[in-house]
Amino acid sequence: MTTSQKHRDFVAETMGEKPVGSLAGIGEVLGKKLEERGFDQAYVVLGQFLVLQKDEDLFREWLKDTCGANAKQSRDCFGCLREWCDAFL
Amino acid sequence: MAAAAASAPQQLSDEELFSQLRRYGLSPGPVTESTRPVYLKKLKKLREEEQQQHRSGGRGNKTRNSNNNNTAPAALAAAGPAAAAAGLGVRPVSGDLSYLRTPGGLGRISASGPESPLGGPGGSSAAPTAGSKVLLGFSSDESDVEASPREQAGGGGGGRKDRASLQYRGLKPLSAPLSASEVTNSNSAERRKPHSWWGARRPAAPELQTPSARDGAAEDEEEEGEDGGDGDPEAEEPLWASRTVNGSRLLSYSCRENYSDSEEEEDDDVASSRQVLKDDSLSRHRPRRSHSKALSSLTAKSAGGRLETSVQGGGGIPMNDRAAAAGSLDRSRNLEESAAAAAEQGGGCEPLDSSPIPRYRVNAKKLAPLLPPPLTDLDSTLDSSTGSLLKTNNHIGGGAFSVDSPRIFSNSLPPGASVAASSSLRINHSNHTGSNHTYLKNTYNKPKLSEPEEELLQQFKREEVSPTAGFSAHYLSMFLLTAACLFFLILGLTYLGMRGTGVSEDGGLSIKNPFDETFGKIQESKKNLMMNTLYKLHDRLAQLAGDHECGSSSQRTLSVQEAAAYLKDLGPEYEDIFNISLKWILENGKDVGIRCVGYGPEEQLTNITDVQFLQSTRPQMSFWCRFRRAFITVTHRLLLLCLGVVMVCVVLRYMKYRWTKEEEETRQMYDMVVKIIDVLRSHNEACQENKDLQPYMPIPHVQDSLIQPPDKKKMKKVWDRAVDFLAANESRVRTETRRIGGADFLVWRWIQPSASCDKILVIPSKVWQGQAFHLDRRNSPPNSLTPCLKIRNMFDPVMEIGDQWHLAIQEAILEKCSDNDGIVHIAVDKNSREGCVYVKCLSPEYAGKAFKALHGSWFDGKLVTVKYLRLDRYHHRFPQALTCNTPLKPSNKHMNSMSHLRLRTGLANSQGGS
Repeated sequence: MTTSQKHRDFVAETMGEKPVGSLAGIGEVLGKKLEERGFDQAYVVLGQFLVLQKDEDLFREWLKDTCGANAKQSRDCFGCLREWCDAFL
Repeated sequence: MAAAAASAPQQLSDEELFSQLRRYGLSPGPVTESTRPVYLKKLKKLREEEQQQHRSGGRGNKTRNSNNNNTAPAALAAAGPAAAAAGLGVRPVSGDLSYLRTPGGLGRISASGPESPLGGPGGSSAAPTAGSKVLLGFSSDESDVEASPREQAGGGGGGRKDRASLQYRGLKPLSAPLSASEVTNSNSAERRKPHSWWGARRPAAPELQTPSARDGAAEDEEEEGEDGGDGDPEAEEPLWASRTVNGSRLLSYSCRENYSDSEEEEDDDVASSRQVLKDDSLSRHRPRRSHSKALSSLTAKSAGGRLETSVQGGGGIPMNDRAAAAGSLDRSRNLEESAAAAAEQGGGCEPLDSSPIPRYRVNAKKLAPLLPPPLTDLDSTLDSSTGSLLKTNNHIGGGAFSVDSPRIFSNSLPPGASVAASSSLRINHSNHTGSNHTYLKNTYNKPKLSEPEEELLQQFKREEVSPTAGFSAHYLSMFLLTAACLFFLILGLTYLGMRGTGVSEDGGLSIKNPFDETFGKIQESKKNLMMNTLYKLHDRLAQLAGDHECGSSSQRTLSVQEAAAYLKDLGPEYEDIFNISLKWILENGKDVGIRCVGYGPEEQLTNITDVQFLQSTRPQMSFWCRFRRAFITVTHRLLLLCLGVVMVCVVLRYMKYRWTKEEEETRQMYDMVVKIIDVLRSHNEACQENKDLQPYMPIPHVQDSLIQPPDKKKMKKVWDRAVDFLAANESRVRTETRRIGGADFLVWRWIQPSASCDKILVIPSKVWQGQAFHLDRRNSPPNSLTPCLKIRNMFDPVMEIGDQWHLAIQEAILEKCSDNDGIVHIAVDKNSREGCVYVKCLSPEYAGKAFKALHGSWFDGKLVTVKYLRLDRYHHRFPQALTCNTPLKPSNKHMNSMSHLRLRTGLANSQGGS
């Protein structure tokens, strides 16, 4: 599976204060929705990811419920976070 | 138990929810406010499955392990594996698409599937319709968030994916319609793909802003790549293959997203993502595998069978959705013709599949697995090949559908093209495939000229065999030609040789003829005697002459006395006839083979008494002698001919040389004239502003300013011509004599009355004009990947004039990277439409420095972009760069190309001061 530019950008360095829109799969619309729910920074979403024990199904389910991400978006986001964790956590 | 537990899950407290989940074997994380709904859903799902399981009669009551993707296989363990398979088909209604994604269980289940139809058939038959509908809706749901173009490819692809997995679940009858719809969808998607892909990407996702447009586009492409592209890699392949020839075009599309060779990036990505993807892919394997099996059973095609044989090792398990989609397409397509093509390519695929995938074969593998579907052995290497498949999948995943990997595609094309073709839109793209091969061949034929230098290596590797064949063919033709020439030569010589013998026959005849006319009065007997005499004489003389000609004797003529003596030897009667014969010969004007010669060469013989010598006009020579003479004659003539031709060639060459020289000089003269005019004009403008300056310029001054001292001698002629030209043709310049500082000078005066009308903005040529964008991580690779760079858009080959402009380009690059001591080789591709320059540095760090200095800068009004190139390919294209080790420096310190930057920044570049 090939990765997008966004993915690569995100995974290449620590996320710091990056906005949630910098996650792969999260564009403008989804980002806004997440922010409305309180997930305004990427690390908050990371937190959720970790709380769900990095489980793919759960996380993707959660993402779908929270901001209405479709399968591809959630997959991208999940992959992005997972890879980030592998690299930095 | 289940019922009780199922009651009012909403009233479960966190702890209860937690424990419930534990009961199912899950090890859930903290149930908090945000995770609660998720876990609730999970619980519900687990319960439903449990019920299903019970309903189906308690299939293997395997508890479903935690549904972590890490344990996808475990997921299969879930209750009613097969049931789950079918059940999951219906499940989508519940909206848990994740299970569709990780039908890992399905795959595994498939193994046991056949045995456990469990309401599967019944349920599945109903489920399929519903499921498919749901899936269809679901797939479109996916893409609803995106813009429409995306849904075609993405939705189509996504739908395909899911439908594919669904199909496995025993929807054999339905698969056809599904695949049909799939195909049409993919058809349109694919067809549209080439055109709309690029374009659609831009306007597509409305949520993607311009900054992320690139990403979005990249994502789209990739999504399409894996989803849409799955089923129609061939659609992409042929198109991209055809594009690979003009790789620049494709690269220009892709370089928006990827600034370096995709392979470079994929390298890193593959490595890093291998682990990450491993589990993910594993779960995905199953459904594909099962799907393929279903397909295989469906596909009675020979194509399938053949593909199967070719893709044993790796093909067993389609790496990803592509396989599924491809399989379905293949099925529906029902293309026999491709089967043949696939078959022949299958062999090529095989080795590819089994070997550890070198990167540039990644796509080949990617395509190869597509053929997979046809696998009929269900239980084959499920587990054994899993490992290898994972690896391959990762490779594929890593190196997969980067859009800007035309070369990868091109490489995989030959082996995989027809394979992919077979599995996808062959009808639409069969002609593409055909053209691919020609494209590839052509690409090889013009390695230096065409754009896709990146694909060169693959093509070279593949086509290494052909050059030798071509060579021998060339030599063969030459050999045939020479053989034919030789044959004709020999023929001619032989003919000449024959002439010698043939002539003697005529001699006899000619002697006979005149007899009747002139010697009617002679009696018959005497006639015969005379004939014999003459013959004898003739033979003797001919022999003598032949010996003389061939060089063995020095005497050509026979004196009369000797002739008489000879005849006497032969017989007494000959002697009498001798005189009559002589007389006859004399009176006979024709050439009878014997010539009577007197003392002197030109003496007229009127009487037989004058005759002193007899000579044969038709010497009789041996064959060898004749042949030798003929040969010598022929060679002499040939030599003369060749000499003549050579002379003509020499003359022509000389003329051409003179002509080009003249042209060059004229051109130089015109250049000089233009420069002079510029100088004069600018001087005039300066005068307009500054009234202190004289409105004229002495000619020698102009000359000194335009021509450098070392060139003075060389350019003298040009200069003089320019001066004359100006004097004769240029109306805006007047030549006059002025006294400056006491000496007389010939000066030029610019006499254009209104300077404004002629005021053209002098656009500086070949200068750096600043940076377009700040180089950050988004538009440049984080680290230098290779020591070789490809710099684009430095010039426009049609606009360039002269012969030395490429030197100016090189200078400009060196000056821009003057602080970089690591550039060892620069090559300007003068024929490239894109204005490409290739640079090699000592190490990737230097290349990175150069990259930073060059990428995104404006040069001569054009935006320069830089890419990394693979080192081996660079060496392949520029073998002379292998040995370059010395850093290059700008030839002079003027830093002409940086002049604008200096002005702009206000401070001279640290190295720029001249």
